[in-house]
Amino acid sequence: MLGENSHPASDFRVRSSASSKRWQAAVVAGLVFCSLVSLATTVGIIAMLIIESWGFFADDRIELWKFLTGTKWTVGQTQGELSYGIWPLLSGTLRITGIAMLIALPMGLVSAVYLSEYASNRTRSILKPTLEILAGIPTVVLGFFAVKFITPYLLGYLGDFKTFNATSAGIAVGILCLPLVTSLAEDALRAVPTRLREGAYGLGATRLEVTWKVVVPAALSGIISAFLLALARAIGETMVVALAAGSTPTFTLDPRLSSQTMTGFIVETFKSESVVPGTLGYFSIYAVAAVLFLITFGITLIGQIIRLRYREVYD
Amino acid sequence: MNSPLKQELEHRSEQGRTRLSGYFAVTCLLVSSLAIVILATLLFSILYTGGSWLNFDFLSGTHRENNPEESGIGQAIIGSLVICSICGLAALPIGVGTAIFLEEFQPRNRFLRMFHGLVQLNINNLAGVPSIVYGILGLTAFVYMFGAFNSIKVNDQPDYEFGTSYYYQVKTLGDTFVKFPARKEIHATFEIRNPIRADRANGESFLLKVFSRSDDEKKFENDRSSAVFRGVLANLETRDDQQIYVVQTMDGSEVTFPAQPSYSSFAKILEPIEVVGPDGESFQLNVLAKSDDVPSDEQLKARSVFADSPDPKRRSSASIFSEPTPLHFHLPFSKSVLSAGLTLALVILPIVIIASQEAIRGVPQTLREAAYGMGATRWQVVRGAVLPSATPGIMTGAILAMSRAVGEAAPLLAVMGGVLGTTTGLRSLMDKTPALPVTIFKWAGDENAGFENTSAAAIIVLLVFLLLMNSIAIYIRYRYESPATK
Repeated sequence: MLGENSHPASDFRVRSSASSKRWQAAVVAGLVFCSLVSLATTVGIIAMLIIESWGFFADDRIELWKFLTGTKWTVGQTQGELSYGIWPLLSGTLRITGIAMLIALPMGLVSAVYLSEYASNRTRSILKPTLEILAGIPTVVLGFFAVKFITPYLLGYLGDFKTFNATSAGIAVGILCLPLVTSLAEDALRAVPTRLREGAYGLGATRLEVTWKVVVPAALSGIISAFLLALARAIGETMVVALAAGSTPTFTLDPRLSSQTMTGFIVETFKSESVVPGTLGYFSIYAVAAVLFLITFGITLIGQIIRLRYREVYD
Repeated sequence: MNSPLKQELEHRSEQGRTRLSGYFAVTCLLVSSLAIVILATLLFSILYTGGSWLNFDFLSGTHRENNPEESGIGQAIIGSLVICSICGLAALPIGVGTAIFLEEFQPRNRFLRMFHGLVQLNINNLAGVPSIVYGILGLTAFVYMFGAFNSIKVNDQPDYEFGTSYYYQVKTLGDTFVKFPARKEIHATFEIRNPIRADRANGESFLLKVFSRSDDEKKFENDRSSAVFRGVLANLETRDDQQIYVVQTMDGSEVTFPAQPSYSSFAKILEPIEVVGPDGESFQLNVLAKSDDVPSDEQLKARSVFADSPDPKRRSSASIFSEPTPLHFHLPFSKSVLSAGLTLALVILPIVIIASQEAIRGVPQTLREAAYGMGATRWQVVRGAVLPSATPGIMTGAILAMSRAVGEAAPLLAVMGGVLGTTTGLRSLMDKTPALPVTIFKWAGDENAGFENTSAAAIIVLLVFLLLMNSIAIYIRYRYESPATK
């Protein structure tokens, strides 16, 4: 129990109301300052990306158009001609994200449907903690799993995969996104009122029909926003691709080849510790990060808008 | 009633539809169970690879190049703990403060209300920013501080610094090391190692770029007028009563930059000086001429050096090193554990805020109303009624956020580089340190096969950490759940 001295009422008596108000103004100022930190973070990220990318595009050797359309990337390599087309990195990101989504979206949605519509309390009590533990596994651990287990043991028997390839990284990123999709989609499905389900059952629908024709369409905005958040997460994923996807930027559709992503390029540059401020290699990190940030920020924003604007309200 | 659903239901046979539904239920169960299979495989493969490598030597040792058997994670464990403490100390107050502002101080003022909405929207968006972008922000904002202090850098010595002493260290003829204090001064020459801001004769200020002599010529062919090779010496001159350094760029044009006192990386020893020996005793260093013989007496040898001479075997150039106290601090923060902790604080800030908001929202309205009824101001309500009741929830959220921070590798790589070990250990907040996730990453990518096992063993330690933190969070949630919120 609260002691006499720590009781709220005893605090109120000691101060005059004028000094309380002054104290409160100071507190509000402090709280506003705290809130400013998060705003400053966003402003800092955007300002930094614009200013330092400017250093990249202001270089005489760089043309913005070639950066956006080029299909060869050799920045950071000491030998050979300088090519700086973003597409090998961007396509690497898209390939791995595509594979990850092929795994995470259907599996995540089906798991969510199972947890929300079918599962008994007993199975739920096993599946939910499993997914929570999976969600808490650090990404570098999944990267280790991809390169030391998925590549040699799972893909080794499936075909001629390179040691570092897009498929292995894609599978691991998919595993990483699975709990995210499941938990967000399940929240959306559970938010659908039971009345709707009961109405459909009353019409003689089976559980499958209730799920896919009534519950899922009603929760669609939440499900799509869950998909988009997972997509943004996969695009920004770094450690898995840095370990498992290799460090060769390739412009191809072959999922067996090494494929450096945007995040992979950034980490590779940091790992080698060869970045010296003011050089082209240093500025290129910011140019690539700006593209990465624009894509993920855009997707997150669209996801939020869909969730808020197209939410079905039943009241 | 003529709904499309009803029409469709009537078209198919009752039995077929029920069977289909049953099949789907089984499929669902199988797909969901895959998560269990994946988790089991993951944990088993890691335990199998790394389990037998766990022992006391591994937990206390440090990384050894090409020698996985003797490598360990002692420094990495300490590094991770320190980084996480800094991260928590920075993120927790700011995060809780923001949550209180958002939940308890709904402003009436129109401008402040807009600010309120903006902060809320911003937090949701920040949660979706990839951690590597935070890493780059940390590199720019903490490590280099937007270049604000970087006008001149000598061997990465920062401009504003306290809590450390610089010494020159020299090896005596007896193979012992002696040291003597270094002083900042304006040197006759200045070795350019990093890009610095310089001025042309026409007054134009620009960033002098630095290239390595081994770089491909194509890399700098367009930069000849604004670049030098690393290690080029600038000469001190006095113009208009000001001391400046003058250097020629690659195309021969002359550029200048102001001279500031700095430490030089090497000192020449030409005459006897007072030095401190390995055991802390101070004595006069005996300086021999080039032609002198090496003394035979061991004690004398340990107190003698050759004067600086062109003969590499008889050179006694002293090199600089710093001895930081635990309070060592400088601006910018450079690649240090402080930068790393603050960067991770930014990464988990949105998570802390969102978790704290939920905890505060869970406090029953009746509690607030009772406090207001007693004449409390808004802050008194928050401090006396809301916070005590929301603390378990806030702590749970904060610990879960910290467990996210423990496993983050990308921001650490950006801010500190891939450090695997330091010779000195962690002496102050300005030192670099290895951390568990970075160690796992570097070892997993090592070509030496044994590091696969050490990497897995380090993963086990990391997972045990996470398990501990989560257990604490669950314990707090059940133990301290306030009676008012039940």
